[in-house]
Amino acid sequence: MHARWSFRALALAAALTATGPVWAQEIAIAIGSEPTTLDPQLRDDGGERAITDNIFETLLFRDADGTLRPSLAASMPVQVDETTWEVDLRDGVSFHNGEPFNADAAAFSVNRIIDPEFNSEQSSFFASITGATAVDGDTIHITTDGPDPILPARLYWMKMVPPGAADSEDFASNPVGTGPYQFVDWNRGSSIELAANPDYWGEAPSIQDVEFRFISEFGTRLSSLLSGETDLITNLLPEFVGQVPRAVAVSGLELPIVILNADDGPTADARVRQALNMAIDHEALAESLFAGYADVAQGQLMAPSFFGFNPDIPGYSYDPDRARELISEAGAEGAEIELVGTAGRWLKDREMIEVIASYWEDIGVQPNVRIFEFGEYLNRLFDRETRADAIFVVSSNELLDADRPLSAYYHLDGIGASNTDEEMANWIVEARSETDVDAREALYHQALERAYDEAYFAFLLNINDIYGTSERLQWEPRVDAKLLVSTMSVE
Amino acid sequence: MGRMLLKRGWDGLIVILGVTVVVFVITRMIGDPVDIMLPLEATEEQRAAFEAQLGLDRPIVVQFVNYVWDLTRFDFGNSLWLDRPALDIVFERLPITLLLVISSIVLATVIAIPLGIIAALNPGSFIDRITVILSLVALSLPQFWLGLLLIVLFSVTLSWLPTGGIGGLSHLVLPAVTLALPAMTRLVMVVRSQMIDELNAQYIKTTEAKGLSQFRIVGVHAMRNAAVPVLTLVAWEFIRILSGYTVVVETVFAWPGLGLLALQAIQRQDLVLLQAIVFVIAVIVVVFNFGVDVIYKAIDPRIKLD
Repeated sequence: MHARWSFRALALAAALTATGPVWAQEIAIAIGSEPTTLDPQLRDDGGERAITDNIFETLLFRDADGTLRPSLAASMPVQVDETTWEVDLRDGVSFHNGEPFNADAAAFSVNRIIDPEFNSEQSSFFASITGATAVDGDTIHITTDGPDPILPARLYWMKMVPPGAADSEDFASNPVGTGPYQFVDWNRGSSIELAANPDYWGEAPSIQDVEFRFISEFGTRLSSLLSGETDLITNLLPEFVGQVPRAVAVSGLELPIVILNADDGPTADARVRQALNMAIDHEALAESLFAGYADVAQGQLMAPSFFGFNPDIPGYSYDPDRARELISEAGAEGAEIELVGTAGRWLKDREMIEVIASYWEDIGVQPNVRIFEFGEYLNRLFDRETRADAIFVVSSNELLDADRPLSAYYHLDGIGASNTDEEMANWIVEARSETDVDAREALYHQALERAYDEAYFAFLLNINDIYGTSERLQWEPRVDAKLLVSTMSVE
Repeated sequence: MGRMLLKRGWDGLIVILGVTVVVFVITRMIGDPVDIMLPLEATEEQRAAFEAQLGLDRPIVVQFVNYVWDLTRFDFGNSLWLDRPALDIVFERLPITLLLVISSIVLATVIAIPLGIIAALNPGSFIDRITVILSLVALSLPQFWLGLLLIVLFSVTLSWLPTGGIGGLSHLVLPAVTLALPAMTRLVMVVRSQMIDELNAQYIKTTEAKGLSQFRIVGVHAMRNAAVPVLTLVAWEFIRILSGYTVVVETVFAWPGLGLLALQAIQRQDLVLLQAIVFVIAVIVVVFNFGVDVIYKAIDPRIKLD
């Protein structure tokens, strides 16, 4: 009797385990959120990107380390006059449905995403572009409202869509691109399947089939990897690195920072702002909260892979004694500093805020931590009239270029800026249309240095993206956080 | 009966209307969906354009009138987040959730009733005490934790069952058990105490005196009298699971039902989708409660329905 039961249990177990990914050319990836749509031009959404990065391609592409190179463009774009860029397109590429990828398709893609009627959430990436025209069969001209040196970086963000299919009603649920993978099936709420594109113009990918599963709960995502159901999970928490078969990490795009109010309150004194920087032990913060999976920010809201990064800024080192001196010189002992933040939006946001507050308390000021629900928090972040003394924020810079973070947080009109430094603002504006690469970089270096010297921010960390993978999966994570299945293989 | 139906229908309508108004007001109080949806670095002009497209720049009264007008035609509009008709999305997910909810309530009932009766037949015995203690333990487990615990045991360690998602019967087991357990333990307690009360009643002494078998006494006479409170609890558990517990359990098990959808709609401040979800659940609860009332009447003809 007992023997029979245990035999049945074994048979059942065997039958159930056989449902996992068993053959080598097929993998499953667990991501935290479901795509809102598979139209790659409509939303600004991580779940959508994870899938469409594999189906669609862009004119320019970045290597794993961030260097721009041609993809659907045949060569790097050339600036033919102040406001016009010429892009030569790769020959012989077609979309999964057979539509040719040519100048008409490329111009269509550009004009579609910038169309105000279309109202793309990504439009902030392309604000300078005024239009595109086909010059001949495989050349287009892209026009901008002024000199735009960042255009190549922008193009890396713009996915090319087929004019025929993109106009149809079901494009958002039946995407058609030029990429190494084509769409197979979408089980709403649970998974999306892709298969290798047999007619891909580039190197044929090694993985034949991939299933993306949407698992929002971290514990379940981790379990799916541990049980062998998935080969790759995103957003592995640093404290679980030791538990997965293999963990891979890369310097990420998410940079936490505290914006200090340089105009009002106790933080209006530069000495106080500098002291607030020196109060923080960055190494300890990285070690205790992120198990070492974070790099100390080098005194700027930039990662080393971004264009404009200033390698000469040393960053404030931990010096609580000097910080206390500065506080007393400024007469700010016991000053109340309101520190605004939110919880649960970004990795360890509340924990970071609390640790910062305790460091600040150590140097003799009175941090007043105020954690708000995200919507209310945004109201404070965007409030131009009354700025809190200190606002915690995490900036995500997908363009890997200085313009976006500097325009948003450094420039005095930026949505999250708390300074009125007109000179610095002018440098940022000047750089935006400076077409000489070196001159542009120099302007950013200057602006970053000013903000560092003036301590307009309390600089924190650059958080790493950590992924958990199965033993068999071979993959190097990328600085732009893209999950490119064509760069994966299994043993 | 006709008058009763009309009155019940009217009451139900008031409840559903009340719920929709409350949801409309609350969803508009909790924040601005535009801020949540656009990247932090988006400019003010882009925010304004997006707000206008969603119709959120209109006065709140106008929004409400439009909302009620659309409601009369069962048109909730497109989900802000998924950009498809909200009601379509809800009806896609509803059967998936109902499968889970019904499985768990059946599981809970099928196990709890015999267990409660056995415990009641021998109050104070070893089996009774074990049942009571285990019920209390199971009741004290938070569901998200219990769910993760079951995943670690049955999926990671033993590799018997999948960690989540939908598919065959194997995918249903863990979430259904997780949902069923607290309901089951509460049911066991109620069945037990009701049966103890009934078994001590005078009419049971009479049936014993008549020489009826133990099976008939318990299964027919005592059960029927204990059935009304038990049914009340089963119905209540059904509603709690459908309208609340599924949010946690579906999230833990990546079960693509209404609960997970509701959580995502809240996180993304998708007012439209949230309204559709709450409306559909409100309708189900009202209809379901009406059905339960009819069953009451069938069990106990003394109950009056109006």
